[in-house]
Amino acid sequence: MPVLADLRQSVSDWIFRAAAPETPPVTLVQRRIFILPTRQGYGFALTVLLLLLASINYNLSLGFLLTFLLGSMAGVAMLHTWRNLAHLRLRPGRCDPVFAGDTASFGITVESPSLTRFSIGLRRKGEDAVYADIGTGEPGTIAVPVQTRRRGIVRCGRLEVFTRYPLGLFHAWSYVEFDLAVVVYPRPDPTAGSPPQEGREEAEEGIPVAGDEEFNLLRAYHAGDSPRKIAWKALARGQGLLTKEFSAMASSELWIDWEDAHAPDTEGRLAILAHWVIQADDFGQAYGLRLPGTRIAADRGEGHRARCLEALALFEGGA
Amino acid sequence: MKSPSYSPHLDVRNVLWLLAAMLFVVAPHLFRLPYWVGVFFIVVLAWRAWISWTAIHFPSRLIVGAITIAATIGTYLQFGRIGGREGGVTLLVVMSALKLLEMRTQREVTLSIYLGFFLVLTNFLFSQTIPLGIYLLACVWIFTATLIGFNRVGRAPRLAERLRPAAALVVQALPLVVAFFLLFPRVQGPLWALPRDTQTGRTGLSDTMSPGKISELIKSDAVAFRVRFEGDRPPYSLLYWRGPVLTLFDGTTWRAAPPVIAPETDYARIGRPARYEVIVEPNSQNALFALDVPARPPENAVLTTDLQLRTRRPLDEKRRYEMTSWLDYRYGADENRAVLRRARSFDPTRNPRTVALGREWAAETSDPRAIVERAAQLFRREFTYTLEPPPLDPHDPYDDFLFNTKRGFCEHYAGSFTLLMRAAGIPARVVTGYQGGEVNPFDNELIVRQSDAHAWSEIWLPGEGWLRVDPTAAVSPLRVDEGVNAALGPIGVIPRLIASDRLGVLASLRFGWQMINGRWDQWVVGYDTTRQRDFFARLGYASVDWRTLGFWLLVATFAIGGAITLGLLVRERPRRSEASLVAWNRFCAKLARAGLARQPHEGPLDFLARVKAAKPEWAAAAEDITQRYVAARYGAGASREELRELAMRVRHFQAA
Repeated sequence: MPVLADLRQSVSDWIFRAAAPETPPVTLVQRRIFILPTRQGYGFALTVLLLLLASINYNLSLGFLLTFLLGSMAGVAMLHTWRNLAHLRLRPGRCDPVFAGDTASFGITVESPSLTRFSIGLRRKGEDAVYADIGTGEPGTIAVPVQTRRRGIVRCGRLEVFTRYPLGLFHAWSYVEFDLAVVVYPRPDPTAGSPPQEGREEAEEGIPVAGDEEFNLLRAYHAGDSPRKIAWKALARGQGLLTKEFSAMASSELWIDWEDAHAPDTEGRLAILAHWVIQADDFGQAYGLRLPGTRIAADRGEGHRARCLEALALFEGGA
Repeated sequence: MKSPSYSPHLDVRNVLWLLAAMLFVVAPHLFRLPYWVGVFFIVVLAWRAWISWTAIHFPSRLIVGAITIAATIGTYLQFGRIGGREGGVTLLVVMSALKLLEMRTQREVTLSIYLGFFLVLTNFLFSQTIPLGIYLLACVWIFTATLIGFNRVGRAPRLAERLRPAAALVVQALPLVVAFFLLFPRVQGPLWALPRDTQTGRTGLSDTMSPGKISELIKSDAVAFRVRFEGDRPPYSLLYWRGPVLTLFDGTTWRAAPPVIAPETDYARIGRPARYEVIVEPNSQNALFALDVPARPPENAVLTTDLQLRTRRPLDEKRRYEMTSWLDYRYGADENRAVLRRARSFDPTRNPRTVALGREWAAETSDPRAIVERAAQLFRREFTYTLEPPPLDPHDPYDDFLFNTKRGFCEHYAGSFTLLMRAAGIPARVVTGYQGGEVNPFDNELIVRQSDAHAWSEIWLPGEGWLRVDPTAAVSPLRVDEGVNAALGPIGVIPRLIASDRLGVLASLRFGWQMINGRWDQWVVGYDTTRQRDFFARLGYASVDWRTLGFWLLVATFAIGGAITLGLLVRERPRRSEASLVAWNRFCAKLARAGLARQPHEGPLDFLARVKAAKPEWAAAAEDITQRYVAARYGAGASREELRELAMRVRHFQAA
């Protein structure tokens, strides 16, 4: 049977050959929807056939009625299954970065122009499906999970959107392909300790100042500032949201350097670097990142953290 | 394509639905099958419910296997075999219950539901009445709702979320069902040999008659058959429905001679024949009934030399046939000598006084008609018609009847009369069947019940052939002219609720219901190859083959399927309940034109905040509209006026 399976696969690949990512929103118009009986559907057909034979054999007029009722219901159910999928609108949604080993999710916003849709499933090839009911008007978001293993970029690729509602006799499906990708950061190595405070180049410029933890300046809160740096006491005094600026940051920049991370392989080094980035960010330090061929100037904040981790995620070469 | 692995959603509520559906569909069987089957079924269902409810372990395969073997043996011991109707249904019921017990996955659920559909069909083996049909339609509805419940991934749906889509499926399927029912090429079954079941409890005339046998039958109000005449109904006194002809006599019991198929019926036909259609209820006998005398046999039946209609197989289901009968006829003038010899024979040691009386009459006159008149006078003078005759002497029952009790019913009169004729040397035989019937005033259908069962005699005269003589008419002319109730007077023994209320409300209801049943039997239950041909003949097709049927079936399927598809697409437009959404979308469109497009992920309140920040001058109006929309859509809902107000405010909103 493997020959047959291969053949089926190649036919299927040819029929549903991948196209370039589509521009959202994608509406599942009639010609994009495929429909075939499920295994339960074939079982149902067999049931109806046996009922028909029994009705003929025993001359049961009501048996004929039952047979035709079930058969017609299957036909109507096919239309309902198709209708349950038709005219859905899909858009790409959020895809937040995760650390390697975590479950990432591709967000897909699904909208039904009319009629509540039940049990709409989404899945990537070979993965488990997720289901949701989509009410009218208000778009629903389905997060398609993906189990990450290694750092880098995971592309969503082609998604199958499908349904078997109401009777499970038919499988209606369509493919959509959005340019969706999740950045997978290296998994931080919590055993790595702290980065050396002395960068080799900057060693002569700045001397680590004692009292890193003491702030000398309060400034207005900006979105994205770490909650750890909010001056809660000031808030309690009714001075509003203020962010602490640390003296240490003002005077010295931390450089997180590829050369300082000692591990047998690239992935180990990246894990250490990732840990340092997170640690530095948690402390609210300004930090820069130096990788072979890449240099990110010192800065702080969410955006900077993401930029650094992304650089680690996408790093190629080394060792 | 790889089949997706549906995770099992054996939600407790879904399982309970399935169990309820199973109970519903098996319920009618529980009254028909041995009581242990019902107990077994309910116990197993309760066990399965308990498993789901308390999430305890399933029984091991070993235990289920042991129960299966025990139940199979039980069925075998009960019925002596597995293949028959009761045995087969018992086995199916038992196995369906056990299947539920080990049902763990979606696939097994589906299998159980399909088994449920088979159980629906098995009910029709026992009865195809309107109430049962409606009941089982409801069962199909519940099964469909159950299947929908199992196909809702995630949470188990609410009651309405199961029943409404299931009802929609059933209702939308109905036009197709009608088309298929009418057009699907019918094949005359059976395809394989039917199990020969004892149709227990069915009443009907049999091939034997002894005193007291028919009067038991006559107390049954069950319908024997229904008749629709083409044109006028013949007079009541001619409604003799010929059934088994009994020639062999042993002194007590009359029996039918082995049937001989008539190669050709040749009898003189006088006047115009009566044409009619009969729907006969199953009676487990081989006899079909026709007015005296039938012209030719219907399909799958034969006409014997003594003009009985006999089917090849016992009648185990309703059957419809068309008949032509000649009410005025001359038949059997050149009857076979062996037949005549047999029609004269009797055992002289039994009923000796009766035999002596017949011989005495023969000695007095040689005119057979005078002898018949003697007998009629005897009956008229001294005899009483009753359904509760006293018991008769088992050895010489007709002596006892003629000379002692003198109270009896049709079989007493027909039997003793025939014996008298034989004793007098006149060939005679007993004919059983039905006499008369009840006319439904709504549709003129004649309903013949078991209570109309009757027996009469036929004598053979040289040069004339067989002549019908009804000795009961001599005793009780009303019996023949108006039916058995009239003959018995106002306090008849027949427990017919409304026998005295012939034109009252109850009678109207009853006749109306009978008419509906008649149509149902005729057009639904009795719809077969011939009916289908008739139906198309009415549409102007002289002959109809499967190609024509197939063509029209395709046309109907596509027409109905197209109509349903259109109907589904028309619902694309939002309904009134979504008027708030329409207004909101219009509001968003206005803002989008002003450069403030709502992002798809943005909820109404987030969007409002952004609008307020960007355009403080619109804040008040936008706040008002948004709050109204949120209240209508996510709050307690909105009245028609509130929706109109919202739409108006959106219309007046100027984003410029």
